[in-house]
Amino acid sequence: MNKSIYISIILVAVILGLMMAFQFRTTSGVDRGVPYGREQELAVEKRQLEKDMNQLREEVDDLSAKLEKAGKGHSEASEAFKSELSKVKLYAGLTPVEGPGVEIILDNLPETSRPGGSTSFYTIKDDDLLKVINELRGAGAEAIAVNDQRIIATTEIRQAGNHINVNLTKISAPYKITAIGNAVTLQSSLEIKGGLVEFLSDLGIMVKVQAKDKILIPAFTGGLRFDYARPAQRG
Amino acid sequence: MLAIFGLILGIMLAYQFRVTREIQRIESVQMVKDLSTQVDQMKKDRDALQARVDTLRAMLDSATAAGPLTSEMKDELEKAKVEAGISELTGPGVEVTLNDSNISPRPGENPNLYVLHDEDVLRVLNEIKAAGAEAISINGQRLLATTEVRCTGPTIVLNKNKRLAPPYIITAIGNPDTLESSLKMKGGVAEALQFWGIQVSVKKMPQVTVPSYSGGIKFEYAKAAV
Repeated sequence: MNKSIYISIILVAVILGLMMAFQFRTTSGVDRGVPYGREQELAVEKRQLEKDMNQLREEVDDLSAKLEKAGKGHSEASEAFKSELSKVKLYAGLTPVEGPGVEIILDNLPETSRPGGSTSFYTIKDDDLLKVINELRGAGAEAIAVNDQRIIATTEIRQAGNHINVNLTKISAPYKITAIGNAVTLQSSLEIKGGLVEFLSDLGIMVKVQAKDKILIPAFTGGLRFDYARPAQRG
Repeated sequence: MLAIFGLILGIMLAYQFRVTREIQRIESVQMVKDLSTQVDQMKKDRDALQARVDTLRAMLDSATAAGPLTSEMKDELEKAKVEAGISELTGPGVEVTLNDSNISPRPGENPNLYVLHDEDVLRVLNEIKAAGAEAISINGQRLLATTEVRCTGPTIVLNKNKRLAPPYIITAIGNPDTLESSLKMKGGVAEALQFWGIQVSVKKMPQVTVPSYSGGIKFEYAKAAV
């Protein structure tokens, strides 16, 4: 009698133990019900949408105010128009801007320090500038210029022999890229480990990134000509 | 007796644990579902706001049309709007379709070589700009001066978190012949990408439409300099 009780208790304990152990193993996988990344992705998307909507609401308020003003008379109307014009020009890159940001200097290594003194060693290409600019845009840069050529929506950065064409203007090394935005974010986006500064340095390019309190970026000075694009007819 | 009782207890316990686990999982799925409905709703709201902004701009245009303003100034605003990406445009141009490689890499080969990268998209865009494109969009997203193109896994992200999946259709307004030949020229971008099997097709179009930027524009740091 005594013996069978002991055996039972042992058995129960063993089964319970096994189950508990099994249970612990599965609970550790519970959170994988939904891949973590998707939830996070949606949350980020939601935050961006909130930001977009706030900006659009501001735009609605601004336009409504101008519209109301424009209804009051001719001089008010032209005032409203001018203020709208300067706002759109600011977005388009047709106005010089200033603000905090970063200044990046890219230069080829001096010939003497090149291994073997070879002149065919790496020189900065259009792709390198494109990458830096793309990274700055991703980090929220609001205005960017390369050697004082303002980067607008239609700006090309294109290798043409030994120099690079930006806004149909020839530029050559050293390249100075200036960007306005959150200086810390801009700087760290480039200097992050495994980031562009590391990549470009490995190629043999001298890269210097400097955060600045005040950067002046000139307006786009080329002529804007649209021979093909026409406003779409609504309705 | 005791043993059977214990066994039942054990099974019940285990079952109970499993049920709670299921509940947790369902909660987590439910949360994502909620979030995704919210995001969808917000997108609709955003589009509605965007439409309102477009209407207001048009109203402002007509309200100021009759004033003492010169046609040069109106022209200046029109051009600035095109460059700022806040007006919908049509015109002749090209449609460039990019897709991942149709070559399957041999074992031991780097499969990354056969996948479309953000640099590839950047290069194509840059080439089109150099060929005089006046307005560009990718999968309906207008390209602005501040538009970044980033690879994240199999998708690309641009205009701050607008996610696009392949195939990427780049629509550009400009001279169709110049645009086409800039991409297709010997040793050009299309040839370089096709080497890796990346699918590039360029179609000349008599008329394409490039939408306006969907979203708010606001500069927090850059202020107009006087």
